[in-house]
Amino acid sequence: MSDAASNDVIDQVERSRSSKIWNRFVGILRLSPTAAVGLMIILFFALLAIFAPWIMPHDPVAAYTDRVLQAPSAEHWFGTDGNGMDVFSRVIYGAKFGFGIAIPAVLISLLIGVPVGLIAGYRGGLLDEVLMRFFDGLRVFPSIILALAVVAATGQSLLNVVLVLGLLDSPVFARVVRAEVLALRSSNFVESAIAAGNPTWRILFVHLLPNAIQGAMAQTAVRAAWAVRISATLAFLGVGIQAPTPEWGAMIRQGAEFMVSGQWWVGLYPGLALIFLVFGLNLFGDGLQDLMDPRRRTAK
Amino acid sequence: MTLLEVEDLHTHFISRDIDNRVRIAKALNGVSFSLQAGRILGIVGETGAGKSLTAQSVVGLLRPPARIVAGSVRFEGRELTTMPPEDLNRIRGAEIAMVVQNPRTSLDPLTRVGDQLVRLHQIHSGGSLEMSRKRALEMMEAVGIPAPESRAKSWPHELSGGMAQRVLLAMALMNGPKLLIADEPTTGLDVTVQAQILDLLRDLVARFNMATMIITHDLGVVAHFCDDIAVMFGGSIVESGPVADVFAAPVHPYTRNLIGATPEQFQKGRARTLGGQPPDLYNLPPGCALQSRCEFATELCRTPVPNKEIAPTHFALCHFAGTLDEMKPKEARA
Amino acid sequence: MSFHRFLLRRAFMVLPLLIGVVFITFMLVRIGGLDPVGRLAGPTATQAEFDSIRENLGLDQPLWQQFGIYLGNVVQGDLGESWLSNRPVMTDIKERAMISLELLFWGVGIGALIGVPVGLRAAFRPNGKFDQVTRVLSLLGFSIPTYWLALVMIFVFFYLLGWAPPAIGRMSLLVSPPEMITGSYLIDGLLTANWEAAWSSASHLVLPVICLAIVSAAPIIKQTRAIAIEVLASDTVRYAQACGLPEKNVRKLVLRNSAVPVLTFVGTEVTGLVGTMSLIEYVFAWGGLGQYGLNAIISGDFTAVQGYVLVLALFSVLVFVIIDIIVHLIEPRSELN
Repeated sequence: MSDAASNDVIDQVERSRSSKIWNRFVGILRLSPTAAVGLMIILFFALLAIFAPWIMPHDPVAAYTDRVLQAPSAEHWFGTDGNGMDVFSRVIYGAKFGFGIAIPAVLISLLIGVPVGLIAGYRGGLLDEVLMRFFDGLRVFPSIILALAVVAATGQSLLNVVLVLGLLDSPVFARVVRAEVLALRSSNFVESAIAAGNPTWRILFVHLLPNAIQGAMAQTAVRAAWAVRISATLAFLGVGIQAPTPEWGAMIRQGAEFMVSGQWWVGLYPGLALIFLVFGLNLFGDGLQDLMDPRRRTAK
Repeated sequence: MTLLEVEDLHTHFISRDIDNRVRIAKALNGVSFSLQAGRILGIVGETGAGKSLTAQSVVGLLRPPARIVAGSVRFEGRELTTMPPEDLNRIRGAEIAMVVQNPRTSLDPLTRVGDQLVRLHQIHSGGSLEMSRKRALEMMEAVGIPAPESRAKSWPHELSGGMAQRVLLAMALMNGPKLLIADEPTTGLDVTVQAQILDLLRDLVARFNMATMIITHDLGVVAHFCDDIAVMFGGSIVESGPVADVFAAPVHPYTRNLIGATPEQFQKGRARTLGGQPPDLYNLPPGCALQSRCEFATELCRTPVPNKEIAPTHFALCHFAGTLDEMKPKEARA
Repeated sequence: MSFHRFLLRRAFMVLPLLIGVVFITFMLVRIGGLDPVGRLAGPTATQAEFDSIRENLGLDQPLWQQFGIYLGNVVQGDLGESWLSNRPVMTDIKERAMISLELLFWGVGIGALIGVPVGLRAAFRPNGKFDQVTRVLSLLGFSIPTYWLALVMIFVFFYLLGWAPPAIGRMSLLVSPPEMITGSYLIDGLLTANWEAAWSSASHLVLPVICLAIVSAAPIIKQTRAIAIEVLASDTVRYAQACGLPEKNVRKLVLRNSAVPVLTFVGTEVTGLVGTMSLIEYVFAWGGLGQYGLNAIISGDFTAVQGYVLVLALFSVLVFVIIDIIVHLIEPRSELN
């Protein structure tokens, strides 16, 4: 690429404001197509969740007892389940649960994990040691089993599921934030802030937080994906969410018995929706991590 | 005899940023020099001037998004910039050898030192393992490693910095190179060890008649161990010539400040003020890259800069080369 | 350092972790205030019966004392009695451990055998076609719910195609199990030349193993690729390239230098995969430890849950320790050599 050619390209770039936004979008798309595609998938489901009442052809809990276990047809695109309910509408409605569980759960994880990570990283000492050891201890337990056991023990409600998932995922954020804080703690600007006599809370939240939170942000999408997955798994096992709630995991649970005898649609479609949403979240999270870590990018 | 001829080399980093704009960092802008057998060229410059990049461009070790966009590199008449990678690989490590920084992390941590030497020899020169082993021991002796037999069994992490650097030198010599490139060979080593390694290097160059290029940011190294010097700034060689000449009478404003050898400056008691921000390679000004930092800069400096011949082998990239003493410097920049 | 001292040091370091694990397990079933007494006593029990059961289980004592007793019991191998099966939990677990181990071995083994080479290949040509396809597929693997995959596979391969046997356990009901040597029908069948049993067992293993392999491969591919890319950018590889090492040799170099991080990673993945495996067992009615544990949790079998979770955690620790030892044996940089 000669000088003249590259200058041309640069000249073409002096444009109006509206194309700036378009260019930012294309720029992100080029740098990380995964992030862009993931975002679009997430938005798609968000729209489904928000506009569900207007999109659903049928009431998700309306049981048409005369049309139990019907294969997909023009009237019921995804067929009907064991109670005669329209699978398509239920799948759309299920999007609400996906977001309804994942968003609060991740928020709780952040609210607990970030301060813990900040304090542990900054203070160090015994508190840090004990906390880290505790988190390490937790790591030897499979997260699914842990979540399952705790929810089963503490009571089977939606709120519980959200709380438990939020709690169990906070160590991830704590660890990420702590690592950042440890790296930053000895940096110049922090040391001068301390020397200037800033109170601890100020240093934590005004100086350290904005920098340390970057890593945590990159993780949110991935943790949200995990939350959606695990809550569906819990529902599949019959823990936390009961039928006839149109939640995807619960729907797969019901679909399981019919799957082996040929009525595949009851369990297949909720699973596909689940895969799609989790995939979108994972794509987005992966793409974000690519964007934030310049090393992982290989520009052309 | 000229072994390496680099002519008008341009290396750019071409990428797209988050706003979908093409961003080009012009890291090397018309670099030209040559290497003679038995002579040591020292390339100096601040960080980011393009020293290591020059070496990488010469041997074809550039990684995306960096690429050579113009220029030629001729080794013994063969054009390296267009050579297929397999052929380049055969030249690297054999006829052209490199010694790098961080010797302890550059050696393969999972292979014993002696085996690495043998492996390198086997790949390029073949022959029996016996021969390779013998040569490995010979080279280890040549670089001054005591008790080579037992040292050969060491793991890289067991070596000290100086010892590891000697191993790298031995690696470089294994296949009888004609050209040696040493990129910051003594950075990170103890001062006494530095001197030892450099003495060793000079000795080896004389013994094996290799054309040699040492990249460093340390002027002292160049002053004491090199025959020729090339000063880099902003991706160009701003002054080049025999060490004695350039140090005695530096002509380029940048070099003059670096060496500060002009008696008049000392007498006037002026502080050296050619420090400042490194040039933004994405937005180089037209003409001379030093404009914003140079006390003698004028409007003329915005035009393409000639490479003026001060003496038959002494060149400087400046409009005012040779006439600076008559000029009035502007107010010292903050 | 000699191997013995090394082992001793490791054992010493692991001890607090082990105690911590027992403690977490102990607390796990108590956080919800789940009252096991009610379960055991039944709906018609009187207050006196409640109290006596409570006393029997030691639940009237202060928490730390209960923990002490529990710890002592665990060390002796006594994990209490399951109210579902009315047998010692330890016996229940012992019967089923090998069954799950077999599935885990094949599933994770094949997953790693596929995952590592694919991850490496993707790293050597980053952002190429293979890499992009692989990344998408592995992210997809992250997103598929294991139990759903299992169900779909059963539907396709059993119901539709008739290739796989019905998902009712490890072996066809019509075949009698072989003599018990290791506990694995497959191995025992082969060892005792009971070809019918071996074949039936193998055919039942196929679907769950493939399921587990797919789910295991996804994270392994992703991480292997990341590790290999880092190694490719390392000083060691750059120097090797500067020495003119041909592509083939560079790949071998990357492989050898990636081995330890990849191995360590697979070790940490096993923990999560054990949980996933439990779900697979559940769907396939495998009769292994996973199914046992899930049932215990769902039905609130307090002691069985405790035993199950404890065994899982201890298994993870064992895996970590084994991998740690292997790493130290291979690495010339470790203090062991």
